[in-house]
Amino acid sequence: MRHAIHTEPADHPLVRLDARVKLLTALALIVMVISCAGSGFPLLVAALCLGLCVAMGVPPRRILIRFAEPLFIAAMVLLLKLFFSGHEPLFTMHLFGLELVGHRDGLREGVMIASRIAGAVSVVAAVGFATPFTELMAALAWLRVPQGLIEVALFAWRYLFVLFDDAQVVYAAQRNRLGYAGFRRGLRSFGTLAGALVIKAFDNSQTVTTAMVQRGYDGTMPLLRHRPFRKGEVLLSAAFVAMMGVLWRM
Amino acid sequence: MHKQHASKGFHMKKILEIFSVAPCLCGGLLLFCAIPAHAMHISEGILPLGWAALWFAVAAPFVAMGLRRLNGLAKDDLSYKPLVGLMAAVVFIISCMPIPVPSAGTCSHPCGTGISAILVGPFVSVVISAVALLIQALFLAHGGLSTLGADIVSMGVVGSFAGWFVFRGMRGLGAGLAVAGFAAGLVADWATYLTTSVELASGIRGSEPFLPLVGRLVVAFIPTQLPLGILEGAMTAGMVVLLQKKRPDLLVKMRVIDKKELAAHA
Repeated sequence: MRHAIHTEPADHPLVRLDARVKLLTALALIVMVISCAGSGFPLLVAALCLGLCVAMGVPPRRILIRFAEPLFIAAMVLLLKLFFSGHEPLFTMHLFGLELVGHRDGLREGVMIASRIAGAVSVVAAVGFATPFTELMAALAWLRVPQGLIEVALFAWRYLFVLFDDAQVVYAAQRNRLGYAGFRRGLRSFGTLAGALVIKAFDNSQTVTTAMVQRGYDGTMPLLRHRPFRKGEVLLSAAFVAMMGVLWRM
Repeated sequence: MHKQHASKGFHMKKILEIFSVAPCLCGGLLLFCAIPAHAMHISEGILPLGWAALWFAVAAPFVAMGLRRLNGLAKDDLSYKPLVGLMAAVVFIISCMPIPVPSAGTCSHPCGTGISAILVGPFVSVVISAVALLIQALFLAHGGLSTLGADIVSMGVVGSFAGWFVFRGMRGLGAGLAVAGFAAGLVADWATYLTTSVELASGIRGSEPFLPLVGRLVVAFIPTQLPLGILEGAMTAGMVVLLQKKRPDLLVKMRVIDKKELAAHA
């Protein structure tokens, strides 16, 4: 999981771009993608964002892992719509004695939803690969996402990896003691593992609070301070969104 | 290097082992898991703009109430926000254990909201779910930003409230912690997926009638969700029982049990 989440930011113009500008541009693109009635625009956005990921030097394996599940789901939605939706028959096939009819209108709807998934996931992936978590949270705070939510997210992010390491240690200990040999024992071990994580969470929260109070914590977390907006970045992003808007309308 | 390798293998190995002890529960569905899938909610892009906005509007008051309650409690106890943050991390880890449902176009996974609702109450549990879902959407492509509202409603709001009401109701009727915990985990899981079916149907409906599609999706979830709900119930019961045995003070602090019960147990 650590490998899937943690990325080393590359030296790329998109990485250096203000997180607020990136987030606003991404949100505009997502709105365009999910409100699009065709499949051409979402696929164009997907290609563009995938290209950006490659240009940022994200390893192909990591891109594949990130896209594996959404694409799997897109494929399944496509099949679901093709065979179980629509009225105009396109083809017929026999599978395990069952007659399956593919529908032209179902295929059209399926391709549209699948392309929307590909487009929107690509946008979020590009932003995720290009922006450290703390910058994203600061950008969300600037967008007036409640401070409490941001603070909880920052705590969760910081201790996610600590708890994951703890889970590894508990799991290894359980496994060495045949904790997963048999269904009932496996279930019990799984519950104990999850319970141990909750206890660790409680204990860590006390330790963390003590340490933070000693460093001046008064109940609110300081966030990253943004540098002033750069006109060039804003204008370029606005022009890009406008251009995509024109393509979306076409 | 070795640690990194072990870390990488841990997740899938653990999931495969947990579910390999219950082949009758998981059936052949893991065959579809040839790709390293993780937890999944309603995928980014599935919901059209109108539906995505509607689910955000439904989720917003619950998140606002949760934040209000969180801020109120954090004023009295500075450790409350860190605790909620760490609980969000626990829910994140728990809800990263997948079973894909090919026929429904989504994956199933333990929600973890049952236990968080039991411990911190349903409103704060909504905040915990929102944070776990936000991180998953941004960095794992599980769920999405446009579907965050829908995912918060199904996992956070419905899951938390269903789990909390069942737990409190059963405790009120005199059930033990293990039984009430099991029922809470089970109902929270099933209620979450019932809501997910409704939300998913709203997204992929097209020109089809709504209710029959919801019915088909519910049926599609049954092969995984029926056993997974039981698994989540057992996990929740296991967690509550472990807390009762090892750290009953925490259950008293979170007002899950009272001091009389603690004394009786001791």
